[in-house]
Amino acid sequence: MLFQALQKVFRKPVYILLALITSSAVFAFAVWLPNIPLIVKVMGHPGISLTQKLDLPISLLGSIATNFTLLSASYTIAIAILFGINVAMFVYFLWRRVDEVKQAGVATGLFGITSGVIGMGCAACGSFLLTSVLSLVGASGILAFLPLNGGEFGILGVILLGVSLYMTAKKIQNPAVCKITI
Amino acid sequence: MEHETKAAETQPPKQQNNLSIPVAIIIAGVLIAGAVYLGTSKGAPTTAVNNQQPQQAPQQTGDLDQMAAISAGDHVRGNPDAPVKIVEYSDTECPFCKRFHGTMQEVMNEYGKGGKVAWVYRHFPLDQLHSKARKEAVALECANEQGGNDKFWSYADRLYEITPANNGLDPAELPKIAQYVELDVAKFNICLASTKYNAHIEADVQNATATGGNGTPWSIVVDKNGKKYPLSGAQPYASVKQLIDLALQGK
Repeated sequence: MLFQALQKVFRKPVYILLALITSSAVFAFAVWLPNIPLIVKVMGHPGISLTQKLDLPISLLGSIATNFTLLSASYTIAIAILFGINVAMFVYFLWRRVDEVKQAGVATGLFGITSGVIGMGCAACGSFLLTSVLSLVGASGILAFLPLNGGEFGILGVILLGVSLYMTAKKIQNPAVCKITI
Repeated sequence: MEHETKAAETQPPKQQNNLSIPVAIIIAGVLIAGAVYLGTSKGAPTTAVNNQQPQQAPQQTGDLDQMAAISAGDHVRGNPDAPVKIVEYSDTECPFCKRFHGTMQEVMNEYGKGGKVAWVYRHFPLDQLHSKARKEAVALECANEQGGNDKFWSYADRLYEITPANNGLDPAELPKIAQYVELDVAKFNICLASTKYNAHIEADVQNATATGGNGTPWSIVVDKNGKKYPLSGAQPYASVKQLIDLALQGK
């Protein structure tokens, strides 16, 4: 069912493009996240050439190999891909049945956003999102209890995005048809 | 985009939609509530090897201008008057610091010999993740005490070389490293058992968090005009090089 739904959505190039753009954006965001202050500083500097301004963020993408463990790099890439597919399928669904999305789409979106935000990226020692974004709610305490030092959230993110994808596929593939019992 | 229409379609059963929204909200709520509960109900285990308080979660509320001025008390590799200085706050048991140590060695091979870049090392042991790191920071200071800057860096290079990271280094290795870099092991052990460097290490940690460090390695690149660029994590050599070149231009 999932495969059939994917086929249905991605036979239109516009959805492939949408998924690619979204996945790339999510991936770049996750990798740049620890260094957004640096990128903002360099981008906003009037004395730095455009080439230099572009070179730095591009080279920082290489930190997926240096600043991530194999596990965190794997789930970061998985989350980016799943997020892109989710968005493409969600938009496909939205275009088909606006009324239904008002109800069911909210749930799908919440699954994706919650898992994506919490699970994304573990930079350097100390999960970046947990220590910076969630520090207000005591991230350091969480890290001490987690055997994977926050990697659990990434794995959970992948699972939740998978569930979200399945739910969307189910709705695409099983349109609410009035069945006639004979 | 194309709309697909199906003549037989109708609204889905309401019950299914009504359930999916609360379930998603509950999951989101449970995740956040769990974070709040775990973070606030119990203190993190005290894993520091001294009597100081365990580190609080570093907050990214720092200001680069809070960076302590580079002084004679710092551990500087390369030309102390170099136009560009990279101040690294590091944890000896962090695998990314181990990786970044190699990157910085590469940096010094390219820029250090010409006196363009100096590498300043400061301690940032993350006690909650790496309980052994603070003792290893003390060991580095003990090496410095006996042999100054040269022995400090020799000890640091050897320590980062042999530690498997993630708290994997046997503490019994610390005197062996001392022997390897030709320190007086008896004196080293006395120093290691003392608490005389605790305040110094803690000051580095506090300064790291004050400048915005929320993980390791945390680095600040300072150009010749004193302008500071933050660099978080073990970034690739290409990125560090670009940042150094920017800093050398003094823009």
